[in-house]
Amino acid sequence: MTTAPADTAFQIQEPLWKIRLRIAWKGLKQNWALFTENKIGLVGLGIILFFGLMALAHPILMHTVWEPNIYDPFIGNDPTILRHPSPPSPRHLLGTDPVGRDVLSQLMYSTQSEFILGLLAAVVTVTIATSVGAISAYFGGALDAFFMRLADLINILPFIALLVVLTAFFDFGMIELALLIGVLSGFGGTTIIFKAQALTIKVKPYIEAAKVAGGSDLHIIFRHIVPNLMPLAFLNMMFTVTGAIFSEAALSFFGLLNLRMSWGIMINTTQAAGYLLGGWKYWYLIVPPGLAITLLCSAFYLVGRALDEVVNPRLRRR
Amino acid sequence: MAEKPLLSVRDLSMIYKTRKGAVSAIDHVSFDLRRGESLGLVGESGCGKTSVAMALLRLLPDNAQITGGQILLDGVDLIQLSEEEMQNIRWKRISMVFQAAMNALDPVYKVGDQIVEAIERHERDIDPAEARKRVEALFKLVGIDPKMADRYPHEFSGGMRQRAIIAMALACNPDLIIADEPTTALDVIVQDQVLRELRQVQKQMGMSMIYISHDIAVIAEVAERIAIMYAGRMCELASAVEIFKRPRHPYTVALMSAFPSIVGEKRPLVALGGEPPDLLFPPPGCRFHPRCPRALDICKQQQPPFEDIGGGHYLACWNPAPVVEVQS
Amino acid sequence: MTPNGIPLVQVVGLKKYYPIGGNIFSPGKLKVHAVDDVSFTIPAGKSLGLVGESGCGKTTTGKLLTRLIDPTAGKILIADEKNNLVDLAALKGAELKRFRRRVQMIFQDPYESLNPRLTIFDIVAEPLAVQGIGTVLDREVMVAKMLEQVGLTPATSFMFRYPHELSGGQRQRVAIARALVINPSFVVADEPTSMLDVSIRTGVMNLMMDLAQKLEVSYLYITHDLAVARYTSDDLAVMYMGKIVEYGPTEEVLHHPLHPYTRALISAVPVPDPTFKRGAPEIKGSISKPINPLPRCRFYERCPIAAKVCEDNDHPPLEDKGGGHQVACYRV
Repeated sequence: MTTAPADTAFQIQEPLWKIRLRIAWKGLKQNWALFTENKIGLVGLGIILFFGLMALAHPILMHTVWEPNIYDPFIGNDPTILRHPSPPSPRHLLGTDPVGRDVLSQLMYSTQSEFILGLLAAVVTVTIATSVGAISAYFGGALDAFFMRLADLINILPFIALLVVLTAFFDFGMIELALLIGVLSGFGGTTIIFKAQALTIKVKPYIEAAKVAGGSDLHIIFRHIVPNLMPLAFLNMMFTVTGAIFSEAALSFFGLLNLRMSWGIMINTTQAAGYLLGGWKYWYLIVPPGLAITLLCSAFYLVGRALDEVVNPRLRRR
Repeated sequence: MAEKPLLSVRDLSMIYKTRKGAVSAIDHVSFDLRRGESLGLVGESGCGKTSVAMALLRLLPDNAQITGGQILLDGVDLIQLSEEEMQNIRWKRISMVFQAAMNALDPVYKVGDQIVEAIERHERDIDPAEARKRVEALFKLVGIDPKMADRYPHEFSGGMRQRAIIAMALACNPDLIIADEPTTALDVIVQDQVLRELRQVQKQMGMSMIYISHDIAVIAEVAERIAIMYAGRMCELASAVEIFKRPRHPYTVALMSAFPSIVGEKRPLVALGGEPPDLLFPPPGCRFHPRCPRALDICKQQQPPFEDIGGGHYLACWNPAPVVEVQS
Repeated sequence: MTPNGIPLVQVVGLKKYYPIGGNIFSPGKLKVHAVDDVSFTIPAGKSLGLVGESGCGKTTTGKLLTRLIDPTAGKILIADEKNNLVDLAALKGAELKRFRRRVQMIFQDPYESLNPRLTIFDIVAEPLAVQGIGTVLDREVMVAKMLEQVGLTPATSFMFRYPHELSGGQRQRVAIARALVINPSFVVADEPTSMLDVSIRTGVMNLMMDLAQKLEVSYLYITHDLAVARYTSDDLAVMYMGKIVEYGPTEEVLHHPLHPYTRALISAVPVPDPTFKRGAPEIKGSISKPINPLPRCRFYERCPIAAKVCEDNDHPPLEDKGGGHQVACYRV
């Protein structure tokens, strides 16, 4: 194979960004094919889509079919029913809660904030963990020691207990809670996972090649280390969402959060009105929110597991 | 006149089932091995040589399937044996020194204990003291101080670990030992020592050996007969001298010309263009034809038969290279 | 002392010692003398082969020459555009970064030396991007030309693939392209073909030698394989325990080795000829790590011809025995 003379004219056929877009699309299709091989990923995705539709459907329903006076998740009240809470009926598919509000409407309304909570917490966690993990691994020394001790500290403290204590001092709404969970998780155990992965990347020859080319530390971290942490990041996001939704549900159940409506709040309302231990008769007050929490958390977990097979080639079936 | 060969492989074929389809890893491979003879199996990565070794020991992964042929060990077809029957063959009649065998030693057990365990697993009734004595004798045989049997693998150097693995493979006095790239990771001086020991042991114990490597220099020193494999098929099989002095298959010729040597005149190295084929969709006819400088039309359509062209020199080629004495 | 030609690279008294044991407060007393007072010269247009077994210090030397690690002592002089020798070991910051344009490296592992998440274009263009050479469009053209030169044609079909879509030989060609795209004058090649198949290896070796001539690049070719060194290097340096024990034109060193270690090494190399009777290497013992070595010849314990003079004096210096062939031995 002889080497061609350097004078062969090279025409730039397509702008670079177009080519990159095309490659990204091809990559996406390939990853999708891998993702869908394992049915659990599709199940998880299906459930998430279902909840997504629920969240979108609520405002539509409120504007069309449902009369605001009756179906408003906060102040609705159905005067035609004498005793609240009432079991499922044609007008209230999941019944009404102790204060007279439609359960289904509450459920659908809360979906939106659950999503926001979960995804915001996940993004914050992963952003912090990736950066801190990469920097810790790359620079080592005192910086690394500091972040690792910080992570140890956060890990030692029981998560829920810490949140409980903090809520005593501050008023937490959904966004604040999401950020708090994100920051705590980000600097906690997750960082250690990312640092470990970054350490394996740091010793690869292509990092040395970048150094020999003259790459600065920042260049190497953000051009080489962080992109190779991205698969792990996506994976981790899925599991963080699960944790966030569940934590919120627990805190709301204890009545520690300054939220107007969420699935946790729904169970809290039930408990405060004394119907929690009322036996199977009041199932429609507990099962819908409980099931919703379980399903959505499981859905993200299943997606995470399926993503694991995309991200980790060794797990794939041959 | 000729005694029956110890091992006779006839038309062996094997595929690997993958998500993308069936990979034809071994295709109609045939060769014989006499008692006490050493055969070198040469080829590049993906040519199927390791697969052949694994097939002989029936140590194949789940997605591998033998689709045809026979493996006759003293007349008994190993393919037809059950797993229990194969347990009696492995280590006792055929044994193997794996690639990267240095990692085959468990770091938490003493080396001597591991060999004793291997012996006891294959010879259930043996007396532990007897096994112990055998380990010491084996160590002496491969050139390790017998006192090292009570040490752990990390206390052994790379070369010593490799010899320990060889000792383990010899533990039950097999008829045939398969060595798959046993010296690849070793420095050249240590490699020389290990190779010498291996050859000495083989002669002393009268074992047959199949030595697998991509390094034709090592094969030249170790093997009496050499088989060249490419893309799952056997191209040429002859005595070591024949292969090196009078190679006929164009791939063999290419290998010889591509290999640098420190002795002799410095002749220019000729690179072989192209890449080995994807065995999911192997080329029709002779699998070497896309890279072959002597390819004819028939090569693209029909696979050449593997046959004796005289004096025990086997060849599968429609248009072999002319006999040119390769100068040393 | 130096072979003919203008020096392109001149290494003087290079040392790299690693402390082992101990901590920040009391560093260990034991030091590994990985590279111990190494000196050599590479003239422009020539290549030097650095051979030795594992642990001899050849890879460390390569990393020192590219400033991946910093030397404990010594000078690394490299000629700049005006043919003045600049000490790479003394450079810092922006100056160092600019000087990196002249020295590049090719790594051993074609599977790990390319970032799996970047396209071939990004990988080869990285030195250009980091050094701020040309616009993005300019770089596309430069990368395409380089890919064609290393035999990856048509360049357009390779530019936007990912490393996992290429074979080992093709990946190594990409690595070569990356090293040469910035037009360096000197390239350190650390075992670039040892992980490739035989028939691929030759193609890559031939390519490197081709390009050395065409692009006027000198190599430091690090390898454990004497046969490979023979074909790729004009001069040969044999290393043992951090020191160069023999140094000279390759054919001369290989055919008339003077140092007992070189002789042992050469006699240990298998020869691809079944009729060739190779003698046993004359050497005892095995390799050890050069930790706080005693002030005597490093090869003393393993040498077949060691004498009292070898033990009583420090490691022998390199002496020219004629024709540029240097040996570090009291007994020759």
